Order: sequence, then C-alpha cells, then structure tokens
Amino acid sequence: MALMATTTGKSDKLAHLSACIGRVADKRDKSAFAELFDHYTPLIRAYSLAREPGADLVADELVQEVMTRVWLKAEKYNAKLANLNTWIFTLARNCRIDYLRRNSRYATEIDPTDIFNEMEDEGPGPFQMVQQNKAQQSVREGLEQLPQEQAEVLTKVYLEGKSHQQTSEELKLPLGTVKSRVRLALKKLEVLVTR
Amino acid sequence: MDQSNNHPYDELLAAYSAGSLPLSQALCISAHLEHCHSCGQRLQQLNHVGSELMQQLKPAKASDELKNKLLGMLDSLPQDLAQEQPREVDSRVPRCLHQFIDKGYDDLDWKRVSADIHSAELCRDSNGAKVELLKIKPGGSATTHTHMGDEYTVILEGSFSDESGLYGQGDFLVRDEKDQHTPVATQDRECICLAVTEGPIQFTGFLHRLLNPFIRRGYA
Repeated sequence: MALMATTTGKSDKLAHLSACIGRVADKRDKSAFAELFDHYTPLIRAYSLAREPGADLVADELVQEVMTRVWLKAEKYNAKLANLNTWIFTLARNCRIDYLRRNSRYATEIDPTDIFNEMEDEGPGPFQMVQQNKAQQSVREGLEQLPQEQAEVLTKVYLEGKSHQQTSEELKLPLGTVKSRVRLALKKLEVLVTR
Repeated sequence: MDQSNNHPYDELLAAYSAGSLPLSQALCISAHLEHCHSCGQRLQQLNHVGSELMQQLKPAKASDELKNKLLGMLDSLPQDLAQEQPREVDSRVPRCLHQFIDKGYDDLDWKRVSADIHSAELCRDSNGAKVELLKIKPGGSATTHTHMGDEYTVILEGSFSDESGLYGQGDFLVRDEKDQHTPVATQDRECICLAVTEGPIQFTGFLHRLLNPFIRRGYA
C-alpha cells in the first residue's frame, strides 16, 4: 500500500510539473518556470556533483545551461513522446557532454549536438505509450530491488558518467564483469527488447 | 526482428544513453539509430533508466542567488538557440555526420587505400580513435586485417559480406583485435561505411606485414 501511495504521489507531481512546462511554452509563464526550477535544479546539481563531488560552480553552470534550454525549448517538449523527468535527464546529459568537451584537456573535433537527440522525431503510437508507461513503472520498481553490485555499476555509468573501462579500473573488476553486470541489471529492469 | 549481432549490444547502447561513451563510438550508434526503429525504442527505455536513477539522487539545493540570476536573464536570452539552421546536405548522409560533410559523399577528399578501397578521414576523437568513411567498389575486397583495438562499423550505403555473414544498410558491427576478417562488397553497387578504429589496422598478409610499421606510424 505504501508503495502504491508514493507512486500515485509521484505521478501527481509529474502531472503538475508537466502542466508547468505547458504554461512556460504557451504563456512564457515565469512563476511556472520557477516551480520547475525549484523541483529540478536540486536534481541537476546532484547529477553534476555525482560526477565531480564538491564542484559546486560546475554544478551551478550545468543548472544554468539546462534551465536555459528548458525555457527556450519548452515549446518543443511533447508530453506524448517522453515524460518530463526523462526529457530533463536527456537535457542534463547533453549539456554535461557539451561542458566536458569544451573543458577537456583532450580536444576532440566531434560536436555532440547532432549526435544526441533531445526528443525522438517520431513518437510511439498510443499502444506503445501504454507499454512505455508500464515499462517505466517496472524500471522504477526494479531499481529498488537491484542487487547492490549491479546498482553500483549503473550508478557509475549513468550518474558519474564513467566509461566501462573507467568503471572497471575504479571498482577493480575485469572489464567483462562490468559489462555483464550492466547487462544483468538491464535484464532485471526489463528494458531489453526481445528480438 | 533481425539478427542481434547487427545491432549495438545492450551495454553499449546503455553507455550511449548515459552519455559515457566516447563521442566517436556515439557517432556510430547515432548513425545506426537513424536506420533502426527498434533500437530507438530500446534507447527510450534506457533513457528512462537514467531518468529514474537521477530521481533517486539526494537533492542538492541551489542558492536563491542562482535562481534570481537565472529568472532575471530569461527575457534577454537569445532566441536563436531554439532555431536550427537547415543545411543543404544530401539526405543520404546521416544527421550526425553533417558536421563533417558539407554536401554529400562525392565531395569528400577520398584517398586510395588499395585497388578496391578509398577512405576519407572525418576526424579524430580525444582518445585517438580515427573516424573515417570507407568506400569499397562493387565486388571489391578489403584485405584480411586485424586491429590493435576495437573497430566499429556502420553500413551507410550498399552491403558487404564477410566470414560471419551478410550486412546491409544501417547494420552495426563491432570487431575486436582477435577477429580476422575479409569484408567483400556485393557486386551490385559500391559500399560506403562509417568506420571508427581505436588503434591502427594490422594487415596480416605477407607483404602487408612488412608495411605494418609504416602504417602504425600514422597513429603516433
């Protein structure tokens, strides 16, 4: 029962935030934007700090980048294609990649802008939407039940932005073990599409 | 849907979704995604994983100063971030490669590698990986070779076969240093591939073995 209550609470909150992004898009509503800021900024900062603990200035810079895009791209956000949390995650991920590229000691000529779409151009049909929502629910519940060693590699890869190689060095595990833990975790979360 | 070895394997697509993949490899995934609807759907699920993990982080509140600064900036933000300039690139070229290709494949600076193969280097990644296009003439063969590191290939045009099977447009392949293979383009048309190599290619024929020290020098 407790789990159901929090899940309902979360989806109410998400529905409210989605209404806020709609008001930003349609009316350039700054109070709606402030609500989005209050909700997402602590998560965006936490995401940045996961990669660079203690780097508050970097975290603030990421917030500025992401929230600026939220303001400018609100019109492009389509709730039918991705839920708002996931859109914010992809924005934060893309801004972080861009920041790292601009501030890296090792130059690359590759511009990530066209590599990572912020929104799929082609959305799923209504049937797929229902499937997706179900799948997202199972991801949420699955994460809570993931064995510690699998949750650890997912955290390294997704939140700390570590490559498989870096993860294997930090956890002192063979590269193959890191990859198989990622694979097992995804299997548990039921995000693997069977072909 | 089709053979699983022609798609990026799960942990690679997850690393792409997480943004922790070297950009050269991310280019290959992106080129594959333009041709593969099922991987696009897998990617959406993997993005949900990142999104849910982010929700579980311990929130780190921002200062009021930052909030006021940003709210104050909103009206003066340049709007051009929201508008993308359309460019006139051949529609056959995947979007992620537009940054390297102004018009189309024909206008690139193709260099002869062998009688059957031409290559056009696009760029280098920060890890030293070489990003290039390879063009194999109809029925042409790429000499038997192995690699120092992994090689990522996406077929952009045409098709080829090697010891493991037949590959067509959009197919994604990874070969590691233990694999020896001889890709042969099909007879009907030339084959253009996006190829990312982490280390120099080692040719394994007798003459080529003599050439290897010179080829390797290109990566110093």
